[in-house]
Order: sequence, then C-alpha cells, then structure tokens
Amino acid sequence: MRYIFLFALLVVLGCSNDSDPAADKASFTRIYDNNKFNAAYYPIDIKQTPDGGYLILGGRRLENSNFAGIYLLKVDAFGGFVSEVEVDDELVAPIGPLMLNNNNYYFFCMTNVGLQTQLVRVDGDGLITDQFAVGNSYPAAAAADGNNFLLQSYNHVDKRSVVSVVSPTGSVSSSKEFSIGAGDAVEEPIINHFLQTSKKLPFLVGKVGNTYYFNGFYNYTLSLAFTNLSADEPQGIVQGQQDDGGISQAVPLDGGKFALARFNFGDNYFLPSATVSTSGISSSSDLGGNPLPELTPNASVKILRTTINARNVVLYASDTRSKQIALLGMTRPPEHS
Amino acid sequence: MKVILSLTLFILISTTGFSQFKKKPNNTLPKPKPSQQNKFLEKQWWLGFKAGTNFAQAKPIQAYTVMVPTNYAAALNAKSYDSFLKTGSQATLEATFYFKGFSFSVQPTYRHTRFTYFNQFRWYNTENSAETLELRYDQEQKLDYADFPLFIKYDILHDKIRPYVQVGIFYSMLINANKAVKISGTDYASGGTNQFANEAIIVGAKDLFENYWGLAAGIGVNYNLGNVRVVLDASYWKGMRNITNTKNRFGNDRLAGIGDAQDDIDLNNIVISAGVLFPMRFLSSNFKTLDR
Repeated sequence: MRYIFLFALLVVLGCSNDSDPAADKASFTRIYDNNKFNAAYYPIDIKQTPDGGYLILGGRRLENSNFAGIYLLKVDAFGGFVSEVEVDDELVAPIGPLMLNNNNYYFFCMTNVGLQTQLVRVDGDGLITDQFAVGNSYPAAAAADGNNFLLQSYNHVDKRSVVSVVSPTGSVSSSKEFSIGAGDAVEEPIINHFLQTSKKLPFLVGKVGNTYYFNGFYNYTLSLAFTNLSADEPQGIVQGQQDDGGISQAVPLDGGKFALARFNFGDNYFLPSATVSTSGISSSSDLGGNPLPELTPNASVKILRTTINARNVVLYASDTRSKQIALLGMTRPPEHS
Repeated sequence: MKVILSLTLFILISTTGFSQFKKKPNNTLPKPKPSQQNKFLEKQWWLGFKAGTNFAQAKPIQAYTVMVPTNYAAALNAKSYDSFLKTGSQATLEATFYFKGFSFSVQPTYRHTRFTYFNQFRWYNTENSAETLELRYDQEQKLDYADFPLFIKYDILHDKIRPYVQVGIFYSMLINANKAVKISGTDYASGGTNQFANEAIIVGAKDLFENYWGLAAGIGVNYNLGNVRVVLDASYWKGMRNITNTKNRFGNDRLAGIGDAQDDIDLNNIVISAGVLFPMRFLSSNFKTLDR
C-alpha cells in the first residue's frame, strides 16, 4: 500500500507544468513600446533570422520630414527586445519586403533630399552593414528575383513608372520606364502615397516566367502591367479606374493563373484563381470576383501560397471594418510539374 | 529542490500514517484489556460539511508580458500582485475515519478564489511635461476549482475540545475562470488633468489555466456537542504546480490586445472553514460517542 501511495505521488510530481520554452517560442504576442509621447512607428516587414530571432523593418515619424523614417528592430526567438536602430533621417521612405540574399537582408529606401533610391544591406543582428545608391527616385515596390531584386519606382522628373532589375550591390542590369500620363493630377495620388497623406496605393512588382509585372500607374490609371523590359510599351495591361479601382494584390499561380484581390471605388473582391491576360488590354472590373463587404474600403490585402494539412491553399489576409484581421483560405488548384 | 522537499515530506507523511496499521511486538508488560466502550471509541467514521472563506496568493514563477519596452526599463511596467487580500469562498463535504488519535480525511471542496494585480504605463515628452499619458490596468482573476484533498489529522487533546494538526495533499480541477480588466488613467495632453476610467472588460479565461496540485498543512479544533462535532480549521494550501496553461498564455485576443499575458503562477491559499460532523457508528441511542 505504501509503495502504491509513493508511486502515485511520483506520478503527480512528474506531471508538473513548469515553464515551457517550446510553447513560448511557438506562440507569442508582443507590442514593442516606446514611451516617447510623440514617437510613432509602423511595421513594414518581418523575417526570422538564423538565430531563431526576428528582424523587423518599420517606418517612423520624423519631425523634420514629410516622409517616413526608417526603424530596424531585432528581437529574440521569444519576441524579447534585443536592439533597435533609428536610422538617420537622411534616409526615408523604406519599402518592404526584407529580401534575403547571402545571409544578409536588403531593403530599398531613398534619400531625404535628393529622393534617390538606396539599397540598404542589414545583417542578422539588425545592423546596417552597407548602403548602395541605385539612382531611381521614389521606390514603390520590391521583390526578390533569384540573386537580384526587382524594383518598381517612380520617376517624378519624367513622370514615369520604372521597373528595374537591381543587383545586391545596387547596379541596375535592366530597366524600363512607362509614362503615367501628362499633368499633375495623375501624379498627385502617387506623391500623397509617399507622404502618407492619402490612401496607400497597392504598388507591387514581380516576375512570372520570363515576364515581369508591376502594379503601378500607366497611362493615367493604376494598372497591372506585363512587360519583358525590352519593349517600350507593356505587352499586357489590366486597367483600373485611375486610383479608384484596380488590383490590390496579385500572386501568380500555375497555369497562367493568378490569385488576385481587386478594389473598385471602395469595394473589395477576391479572385483565388483568376485567368489574367498577359497581353492586350483588359479591365480589372471585368474580372468579377467574390465581394467582401466586411473589409475596409480599398483594403490592403496580403496573399500567401502555402500548404495546410497537406492541402495547397491560397490564404488571404485583410482588415475588416470592425478593426479585425480577416483570414480566408481557399484550396489551390493542383500544381503542374 | 521543490520536488525533493515535496517527496521528502510525503515519505514522512506516508510513513507516519501507514505505520498505524503495523502490529508491533508486545515485549512490554501486558496492557489492561480495554473495555468494550473504550475499544469501540478507538474507531469512528465522521461525515459532515463545512464552509468558509479563503485568501489567495498568486506567486509568479516567471513573468510574461505583451508590452515590450524598447527605450525604458521593463520593471516600470511590471505587474504587482496582491497577497492574501481578496476573499474567496468554499464549501466542503468531509468524510473522516478516526483511529486511535489519527484521522484520515477526504474533503471534496468547491472553491471560488480571487486575486488581483495591476501594472502601469506612462508616455511622456521630456520637452513638454503637458504631453503625458498615464494608464493603469487593474486585473481581477476569479477561479473556480473542485478540490480533492486528503488530510491526515492528529488530535492533540482528547477532551470535549479537541485541537488537532493536519497535513495533506490536494488535487484541484479547474471548473471555470474569468478575468476582469479595468483601465483607468490620467491624460495631461488634452488640456488640463483629465482622469478617466473605462468600463471593466470581462472575459472568460478558462483556457488560460489548468488543474494543479499542492500540499496543505493546518490546525483546527473540534468541539463535541452531544453526538455532533463542531469543527473549525484553518490551513495553508501551497500550490506545487504552475496553474497557467503555458500554450494559451497569449491565446485570448482581447487580453493580448490590451497588453496582458498570463504569467506562470503558483497559487497558494489560506483556507478557513467551519462546519459540523456527524458520527456514523453508535453503540446505542443514548451513547455519547466521544465523551468518556
């Protein structure tokens, strides 16, 4: 009897629920707080670093510039604060994503005075290790492309949307510019986007096969344009409605299809498997899609291709009118080899 | 260390308790044969109920936070827990077997217990003292448990008033939990000094906690009132297991949204109860079971 009692005691002791580092790493919520009353920060992108921690690129309010400043935050695997860098306000208007190349992280920004695009290299500890002048102005969107980076920028002198292929040392190997149209009115929403005084525009750039695409202004309207970076005009254009309608996010799938989100005068539509013509001219409003009245007008949308429980899915994330995050997952068509 | 101490204590308890069942060799002078009444009084079953109040102490094992300071010391936001301040309540059914001065008692209990903590935040401008905002988060945690304690008691005296000491072990099953968060503060930035307090946010928090076990020790007194025994006891229950569900500490969106994360906690209680016990064995209808 005594041994049974002792055995039961040992079982109970063995069931102790002390702190669980694995669980603490797997799931946490953190709010990084600065107690300066006038300070304001916003996140742009986050990447997990090889040490298990996270590198966060953010923007910050500047007292002496209308553009956003740059903020880098390094946290550990538990979300604990490690270090921060408030980058000198000579550099402004950072854009994501943080792009990994040879164990370094890169992002684009521009100079506060000359408005010249810069490529900044950051190590895994969140420290800036180098900076390269790229030359274009107003960086608007970026993406990794093998060992290079794709950059969409805005040339405010000639009023042109620019798509470039940029090396990790900042040299431009190919580039093409497309007119946004004459007049100041078409430029106004672009500048307001950078000054953060109006709605944020869904600029994006990418590559599918040998074709580059960008979501930017072309011929007076926000358009999803396809280009080979050789011809003077895009091969395919999906036009929006000036800055009131267009594509809000696009991720290429297989078989020439795209997972799309579009907006039109405040309404939002999701198209998890849309056929987009990469040649000729079409209209985004003709694409239809599933309306989502719960979302904020002209909502920002993120689309992720991923696998959940062995199912290929397209995951949409966006903001609702009730200030919540909406997640929608849709099964992705099978991939073709 | 905690485990070693616990193990040692229980080995002592079990040794003491079960040694009562051993037959010791009788190598001394023969004892006088007990009378039938005395022999009868060596054993007794008691059934009864008791109720009372309890005071909780939440003792952090490891602190967690949602708010991570980047330019000031984390200690400024640290949570401050009360200690044995908030009253709870409990109701107990007691079944006790008395044998030669020792009692073995099972006491299933429904226990409602409370504890509170608060933390504060301050944002300010060193160049303009008017630009200051202070917030205080007062959090009250209410937990309901079904407790299953097993006590061993020893009666110090065997008179009509019978003080006793007791030690035991308990296992507590979580029944329900909720949390109320009241946010108040002072806003110096909107002109003047404006104090405000928001309605408390009350959320179900059962997912944040788990069952736990612990050790208990205490004192008490029985008073024999005819065939009924009135009991008053006080004991200290020491939680030996983290009561927090470590996988869910950030799992409540509303709490995480206001910057609250559940710490790892040991829950200790001072439990005070009063009640009545009834004997289960009688020699005859007019026999006083305890009064010799």
